[in-house]
Amino acid sequence: MSGAQVTSSVAEIQNKSVVAGMAVGSVARRKLSQRIAFGFTWLAGFLAVAALVWIVGYVVVQGVQVINLEFLTTRPAGGVSGEGGMSTTIVTTLYLVVLTIVIATPLGVGAAIFLVEYAGEVQRESRLMAYLIKIARIGVEVLAGVPSIIFGLFGFALFVVALELGFSLLSAGLSGACLILPVIIRTSEEALLAVPRSYREGSLALGATKWQTTVGVVLPAAMPGIITGVVLSVGRIIAETAIFWVTLGGSYRLPTSISHAGRSMALHVYMLASETRAFDKAMGTAAILIVTIVVLNLIINYTSRRLAARSMGRGR
Amino acid sequence: MSADFKDAGSGVRAGDQQRHWVATALGIVLVLLAAAVIVMGVMVTMPSEGGVVNDLQTRLGLIAEEGAEEAAMSPWQVLVAAVIVAALFVLLARGMWALQNWARTGVILMLILLGIYFGLNVVFGAAAEIFGGEQVVGLGAILQIALKGLFRVAATGAIPIAIIYVLITLGPRFEETPGQRAFIDRGIRYILVATALSSIFIVFLIILFTAARSWEAIRDVGLDTMLLGTVWRPGSIIGTEDAQLGLVPMIIGSILSTFGAALIGVPLSIMTATLLAEVAPQLVREIVRPAVELLAGIPSVVYGLFGMVVLAPLIRRFEVPGNSGFGLLNASIILAVMIIPTVTNIAEDALRAVPKRYKEGSLALGATHWQTIWSVMLPAARSGLIAAVILGIGRALGETMALIMVIGNAIAIPKPLTDNPLTLFLVPARTLTGNIAVEINYAAGAHRSALFFTGVLLFLMILLVNSLARFLMKERSV
Repeated sequence: MSGAQVTSSVAEIQNKSVVAGMAVGSVARRKLSQRIAFGFTWLAGFLAVAALVWIVGYVVVQGVQVINLEFLTTRPAGGVSGEGGMSTTIVTTLYLVVLTIVIATPLGVGAAIFLVEYAGEVQRESRLMAYLIKIARIGVEVLAGVPSIIFGLFGFALFVVALELGFSLLSAGLSGACLILPVIIRTSEEALLAVPRSYREGSLALGATKWQTTVGVVLPAAMPGIITGVVLSVGRIIAETAIFWVTLGGSYRLPTSISHAGRSMALHVYMLASETRAFDKAMGTAAILIVTIVVLNLIINYTSRRLAARSMGRGR
Repeated sequence: MSADFKDAGSGVRAGDQQRHWVATALGIVLVLLAAAVIVMGVMVTMPSEGGVVNDLQTRLGLIAEEGAEEAAMSPWQVLVAAVIVAALFVLLARGMWALQNWARTGVILMLILLGIYFGLNVVFGAAAEIFGGEQVVGLGAILQIALKGLFRVAATGAIPIAIIYVLITLGPRFEETPGQRAFIDRGIRYILVATALSSIFIVFLIILFTAARSWEAIRDVGLDTMLLGTVWRPGSIIGTEDAQLGLVPMIIGSILSTFGAALIGVPLSIMTATLLAEVAPQLVREIVRPAVELLAGIPSVVYGLFGMVVLAPLIRRFEVPGNSGFGLLNASIILAVMIIPTVTNIAEDALRAVPKRYKEGSLALGATHWQTIWSVMLPAARSGLIAAVILGIGRALGETMALIMVIGNAIAIPKPLTDNPLTLFLVPARTLTGNIAVEINYAAGAHRSALFFTGVLLFLMILLVNSLARFLMKERSV
């Protein structure tokens, strides 16, 4: 919005409010309308929290009733019976998390390092590079907005069919890595940007090369932020269903290698609820999912709060 | 310290005078490893009966698995790979011998990768034992397995960690010429450019593959048939009269569910954003904001499950013939909750970005706080708020799993159940995303291709919506 536009609209607004004030007249009525309006905002905030408490509370309370050692350590019975536990889905989820993180973290952190540390000077060196950097940034933004079913469709077309990897942990891991790549790039970029300039200057002044500075000084300083991004991505992978529905195959057996099909916890919830109608077991699995997500969120909140406190103490 | 310094100095001058026995030993071990790799490579190319060699052949995929027609790898591939690996080992050994820094880095990296590999092996071994799922595992057994795993990690990890530690403390003895340093710096730069371009490469691949796969449907069925056709009946054979792959029902389903979600979710989110940005005290903010963030983290299947188990029976209480509880209303409520975090976050940012002097000016003129918010701050944050709503809409359009669980997935164009037009929202429908997810696993031929076209359509819609939001947000920050 241009400055002139803002000024004019503010003037117009102020006229309106003054007129309204005169029309409404009494201070008491204006106070009353404020109270009612604020009441609505409180109601909205309350509803948002209530929705969370209702969903989490209901699922956890219902779920806890079926969770026991047997449920955790036996595998789903398969078929449409909905019997059995959820053990193999835990291992599959673990596999997927490790695979996607191992694939996406080097790529994402590398991209962030380039975009933050190198892009500026490289941009000045050649026009081709400046163009490529622009394209790379657009790529991150577009990728961040792609809905997960599209990643699933893409993974299905490329990894499952074209590269003949079949429905497997590898196909699912590669597709999942595409989903979290922009998350890792963005959080790492923010973490790198938050490292004070003086750190870099100090290291460069001591005669270190750009890369030595980046690895020895900048990355360690940005590490907590980068780890926050990785934890965030772990949450995304654990919660993701659409991609794995199309690429993972849904086998309830224990995958013994990355070329085997599997079933993640979230996928298990979906299959139980919509194919077998075993809602109690679905609730149990969902409760474990939710508890995992809440714990991950607490970790992120804690670290980011500590980070904020630290950077404030540093007096930037 | 002073000894270290002297070592470093003499190292630079004479290269291999101040040798450390660990570096020498590592060099010898690397040469032996190279020899072992070559011997193994030659051995596996020969046929064998049982034993270690046979086991290795099976692991490398040299022997065809049961049911497979041919082996995954030929002996020659393995031999070439063995020679390359051996050559790399010899090169590293040579570097170690000459106390080159790159060899040190290489060995450390190799050891770290090896450590990660063994660590993961142990973790997954233990996990497979606990969660193998053939029988119930007791708590005592779980503890035992965990302790055993920990012991294995400690046992196998001790030597690599010790070597890495020694190599790091020996740092000053290894040398690196300025030429090598510059070479590494350059090389790293190219690798980083490649990683930075990875996301645009993926976007390119997504467009390429979804578009290429949808080409068959565009050619055989026709764009107009798919975009304007009102009947989706994929069971029929392409080319006959009843070949029907029209996407209109799904487009309407997507639009209606998103509209419903926006109708419920947007006022709620903007009110919540106002509460967070202006009204609530610090303490309340610190409760509400994490709660809203957590809403974004909850898996969509959990929302779907909640909709199926809790909301559907509630909606079924509306006594309208044909009301199953699954349909647009259920979907809209679930979607509304799912878009709250997106919209609230961006709307709050937009409100906070309003310059303080606007607010102060309005308050100074005698307006109440609410009048200020309503007639100054919300209008000033207008483009940010619109961007928030649009991004919320994008999120709703792309949601899949929660929707297919609660929307009923009927493939007809939704029509009101009775004379009351509001009953439209009690009707089951299907969205574009749901169309893909429900049918892709068994679709083939033109049907599958039409599903890929659904994906292309969805991708274009989201791209449009997101660029609009980005444009509005950029405009705000200027």
